[in-house]
Order: sequence, then C-alpha cells, then structure tokens
Amino acid sequence: MKKPNLACILLVLFAGLILAAAQQPSASQQADAVRQAAAVQPDASRTFVSFEPVSTIHVAPGKFAPAVFRFHVKPGYHINSNKPTEPELIPTVMHFSLPGDVVIGRMVYPPGQLTSFPFNPTEKLSVYSGEVLIKARVVAPESAATGTYTIHGELKYQACDNNACYPPKKLPVTFNVAVGSGGGKKSGPKARPTKTSPHIHSN
Amino acid sequence: MKRNVIFLVLIVLVVTALLMAGKFMSKGSSNSTVSAIFQAAPEGPKKGDLAPDFTLKTLDGKEMKLSSLHGKAVMINFWATWCEPCKIETPWLVELQKKYGDKGLQILGVAVDDAGEKAIAEFAHKMQMNYPVLLGTEKVADLYGGVDGLPTNFILDRSGKVVGSEKGLVSESVLVEHIEKALGTAGGNSKTTTASAK
Repeated sequence: MKKPNLACILLVLFAGLILAAAQQPSASQQADAVRQAAAVQPDASRTFVSFEPVSTIHVAPGKFAPAVFRFHVKPGYHINSNKPTEPELIPTVMHFSLPGDVVIGRMVYPPGQLTSFPFNPTEKLSVYSGEVLIKARVVAPESAATGTYTIHGELKYQACDNNACYPPKKLPVTFNVAVGSGGGKKSGPKARPTKTSPHIHSN
Repeated sequence: MKRNVIFLVLIVLVVTALLMAGKFMSKGSSNSTVSAIFQAAPEGPKKGDLAPDFTLKTLDGKEMKLSSLHGKAVMINFWATWCEPCKIETPWLVELQKKYGDKGLQILGVAVDDAGEKAIAEFAHKMQMNYPVLLGTEKVADLYGGVDGLPTNFILDRSGKVVGSEKGLVSESVLVEHIEKALGTAGGNSKTTTASAK
C-alpha cells in the first residue's frame, strides 16, 4: 500500500484551517452584533443630525461667496428651529471660530415647520426635520492673505422624538475657504488647508 | 488498506476539531464585542433593584438624600426646562402629589438642565411644582442609566426598590398604575420600613 504523501496531509490540514476560519465572524457579522447591541441599549453619545461636507468655497479678497450648509435630521426626530415658539426651548444655531482673514456674514436659517406632536396635539412647535439648509456669506476682507483656510464651527441643536427629548448636542462643522484671485465661485477642487481657525471643536 | 482507513479517520478527526475550534472562537469574539458595548453604556437600576442612593441640592439650598425617604413610595422624575413632553407631564405630577401625598407618595423632580438654578426655579414656580425640585448632576444621571431621554421616571416602593420605570412621556394612567403598585407593594413591609424611617 502506498504511503500518504506529505503534500496530501498538508492539503487536508490547509482545507481544515480554511473551514475553521470560515466559522469566524466576518466584519459585517461583528458590525451586526454591534448594531443589535446598540439597538437594545441607549447610547448617550448618539447623534440625531448629520452634516453633508461642503466643497471648498473660493472667494477673492474684498468679495464674498455664498455658502450653503446642508444638515440631515434623522427620520423620526426633530430639532427646534432657530426661532422656537417657547423661550425655554433651545434654538438651533451655528457658530464658527474664524481665522481672522475670513468672515462669515449673517447666517440665514430656514423658517421652522409649525408642527404639533402627539405629546401635545393642541400646540404647534417650530421645528426642523429632514433636510435643513443654513445659508451664509463667506467674506474675505481686502486685506485677506491668499491661501486656503479651514474653518471650524459647530451646530448646536436639541432633538426630540414623539414622546421624549434628548440633551443638547454640538455637531462639528468644518469646511475650507480658498482666498485668491478669481474667487466668488463656490465650487472647485479641494485644496490642501494651509491655515486653520484657532479652535477645533469636538462633539 | 488498514493504514489508509486509520489515516482517513485521523484526517476527519483533525478537520472536525478545527471546525469546532473555529465555531467556539466565533462565539467568543461575538460575545466580547457585545459585552464591550454593554459595559460602555451606563446601566440604570432594573425592576426589583434597590434604587441607587444620592444626595442632591434642592432649589432652596438644602440637601436631600434619597434614602431619607425610606418608608415612602418615591417617584424620581428626571426633567428639563427645554423638554416639551416634560411640560405636559408636570401638571399630572402636581395632581398626583396632591392625590397620593397623604398615602405616602413623594415625587422628586430632578432637573437635568444647564439652564441655571434661576431658570429652573422660575420654571418650577411657573409650573406650580408642589414637590422638591433637585438640581441633578451627571453622576446621579449615570447612576440611573445616563437618563438619555426626558422625561424619565423611576418609581420606588417604600423599601426603595424600583417597581417600574418609564422613558419618555407615557399616559397619566400608566404613572398612576406604577404609583399604586409602589404604595401597594409597600403594604406588606410598610410596618417595618416605616418604623425605621426617619
């Protein structure tokens, strides 16, 4: 009888190892476990609003360019508008730390949607839900040095759903402004930031 | 021939062992991922647990210790001035305190709010809160599971054990049910606990 050769033994062991490895949870299985756990356990760090990245805004010294900041409120939740109906309610506001050579003009917030909720059907609250567009003007003074500036800011908001409200949150907002000739147009290739606003905000 | 059979059996055994090892490792790693998340989020007291004790400042500058209320059924109501559902619930709590106060209920309003003491006091006055309003802290909120959504209520029987909890606004009748249970549960052991209450 012929002896089983070494290659055959190794092949079988290799196949066994592959089969064993296949039993290991994949990255997506682990992610599912994470999601399942998160679904049953309240997560204090969860966010209710996301920010859509903004392309580099180009502006020439002494001119301005429009900026639109697009946010998305998670389905099933709402946040107060910039002008809530009650003084105790926390308005949605956006703040920036500016590097000095760039100024953000007056922010224009969308009007709130007057909505009544199951917890108080008789009263209407001024809220945002779904997509929220906040507009502003990015102004470069005549004296602004040419270069790309990274602007850091944050959106402060307070979210609720149909029967509970959640602590106020701060969502970091970052975008680049390229100051140079031919400015005034909003879109363009992303430039490498050369200057940064003094404060970096974190959630 | 015999050697070949032994060899095949050995191979089958090795492959089976490897498969079982893989399965075991898979279970282990998935469990550890889940437990890491559960450890990350603070857990509040569950039904039947003794409510974590705390001492908080009241609006009139005094201190109140939860355990000093042993012998009473207690409803810990976490709220904030910016919470609209809390505004709906507060008048109910005022009425419930009036109705069940004589029977041994004590509602505690724990403000989880950084609006400031003055704003909280004004709000409490405006809402005619007839129960102690305490200035909440993050530490106390963590003891009660982080209190992520408001209002959040924990209802304790006279021995300080949690008989129910509610996150978010629920109907007044649900709160009444919890309160009556908390007062009723205490019936059996109220004699002993009340006697030892300060």
